[in-house]
Parts: sequence; C-alpha cells; structure tokens
Amino acid sequence: MSPLEQFSVTPLVSLHIAGYDVSFTNQALVMCIIVAAASLFMALAVRKGGLVPTRSQSMAELSYEFIANMIDATAGKAGYRFFPFVFAIFMFVILSNYFGLIPGVFTVTSQIAVNFALAVVVILTVIVTGFLKHGIRFLTLFVPKAKWYLLILLVPIEVVSFFTRPISLSVRLFANMLAGHTMLAVFAGFVVSLGAAGGLLSIIAVAPMFMIVAVMALEFLVAFLQAYVFTMLTCIYLNEALHLHDNH
Amino acid sequence: MPEPEDLKRLGARLDEARRHEAVKAQPAAASPLGIAFRFATEMVSALLVGGALGWGIDWLLGTRPVFLIVFFVLGAAAGIRLMIGAAKEINARAASASTAGAAEEDGED
Repeated sequence: MSPLEQFSVTPLVSLHIAGYDVSFTNQALVMCIIVAAASLFMALAVRKGGLVPTRSQSMAELSYEFIANMIDATAGKAGYRFFPFVFAIFMFVILSNYFGLIPGVFTVTSQIAVNFALAVVVILTVIVTGFLKHGIRFLTLFVPKAKWYLLILLVPIEVVSFFTRPISLSVRLFANMLAGHTMLAVFAGFVVSLGAAGGLLSIIAVAPMFMIVAVMALEFLVAFLQAYVFTMLTCIYLNEALHLHDNH
Repeated sequence: MPEPEDLKRLGARLDEARRHEAVKAQPAAASPLGIAFRFATEMVSALLVGGALGWGIDWLLGTRPVFLIVFFVLGAAAGIRLMIGAAKEINARAASASTAGAAEEDGED
C-alpha cells in the first residue's frame, strides 16, 4: 500500500450534471460531517447558556474568545464584523485537521483544492472589503513610500506579492498536512514490513511504532498551529484592507 | 459594601492578570521546521504567481516569452521581500516574547 493512497479522492455516489462530474466523494462526506459536527457542537454547547459553564460550554466559549482576541489584536474593533467569517474558517480548518488525525478518516486540508478555495474566499473578501471601504484608494496598497522611479519596479512586485497570498496560505496548510500524514503512513508501513520479515527484524518493528506515537503527538500540535496560522493570516489581511496604511 | 479603594485595587489586579494571560496566549516561537516551511512556501508561491501572471499577460498580448521572463524575475523579488517580511515578523515575535518573559520575571521578584 502506497503512503499516498490515503489522499486519493474516490466517488461514493456518482453524479454527472450537464457534463460536469459532481460526484459525492469521500472528501465531500468528511466535509459534511465536519460542518455538521461544528454546528451541532456549538449549538448544543451553548444551549443551556449557564452562568457557570459546563465543560462543553466552556470549550465553545474558549474557542469564541480565542478568535475574538485574535481579531481584536490584529484588526481592532473594526474587525469584529468579520467574526462569523473568521470563526467559521477557524472551526472548519481545525476540525478538518483533527478529524484527519482519526485513523481511516480522510484529511480534507491535505487537498490543495480545498485550501485554495478557502484562501480565494479570504482574498476575495479582502479585496471586496478594501474597495467598499476605501474605494479606488484601496489600490494605494500596492504603492509603497518610495521615489517615483523606484515605483516602476516596486508596484509590480507588490502586486505579485499580493496575489501570492492565497497561494502561500493554501500551500502552507496543504504541505504541512500532506507531510505529516505521509510520514505517519511511511512509518506504519515500516512496522508492517519489518513485522512480516520475521526473526530479529520483527523485534526492531517496535522502533517505528514508537516513532508513530511521537509523530502523532507532533501532528496534534501542527493541526492546531496550522489552523491558528491560517486564521491569523486571514485576520492580518483583513486588517490591511480595513486600515490600509495605518499599521505599516 | 466594599471600599472603592478595594475595588480599585481589584481592578488593577485584574488588568495585571489579563495582561499576563494575553502574553501567555501568544503561541510559542515557531519551530525551525515551521520557519523553513514558511520561507519555502513564500518563495515558491511568489515564483509561481509571478510566472502565472507573466504567462497570462503574454497569452493576452501574444508576446510570449517577454512578460513571462519579466514577471518571473519580479516573482523572485516578491518572494525575497515576503521572506524578509516573514523573518522580521518572527524576530519581532521572538523579541516581544523574551521581553514579556523578562517583564513577568521582574514582576514576580
């Protein structure tokens, strides 16, 4: 079994509409489960709304405060109107990462298409917000303070680096998840093949087993950290659209 | 009814505690692997975007490969600029983490 086999998208229900393949895949199923789980968790956790929170209510409140503080620290009060957007992105990415760590569950964020779709939504929100708030003046985002003859060179560079954002945002998440899960599968493959080799080699098979435990622990950290980075950068980009040159 | 003085002191202590919490809430400094990943993705995606923009302009104007070359170089420049930005950000975070840590130690003396 190839260590990359876990990333293959397979159709569960074949669907073709107007010549397009819109099959319901294993990936779509996991995404539906994630959205349902996030909605159910948040709805059930705050249902009672007790003054003294229960464990689940406390978890919901902690995630709320985590994102609220993040927005406050990066984009200030003006960023609060984007709270639902940022919170939805955070919950989706972090749940995708953690669901993916359950053995046998497809890792949604290991697909560049999913991450890129998320990143494009973020960048479109930034562009629309920027133009709505500043009008044509939003384009001064691409004009750094410099001599006019340097601007000929600097403006294209700024434009390229702006459009790099959705790519680097999605590639970072994708690369981290892909690398971690491939590593896990490779070590798991070592355990099987060493175990099947017999004799002394079967005893050594314990070593990669411990390695899996260590990598798994690291992956738990990476799953959170990557969700944090993705959300944090979303906030930073939104801040630039909201406040243009204020914080430079 | 409590003395206003008490309340003021309580408020000051709460502010202090919140400040400490805010410092702690910052995630620890990025791991070397994370930093390497970040630099690599910045550079590669800047090159990709530069190349793609140039290719697109060439496709529109039929001038291949003039803009492809120009924008590939611009992409490299943008990648380096983004890497410098990332490095600055990591440095700033490390510096603020260490000063915050030092301030905390001072406060506990």
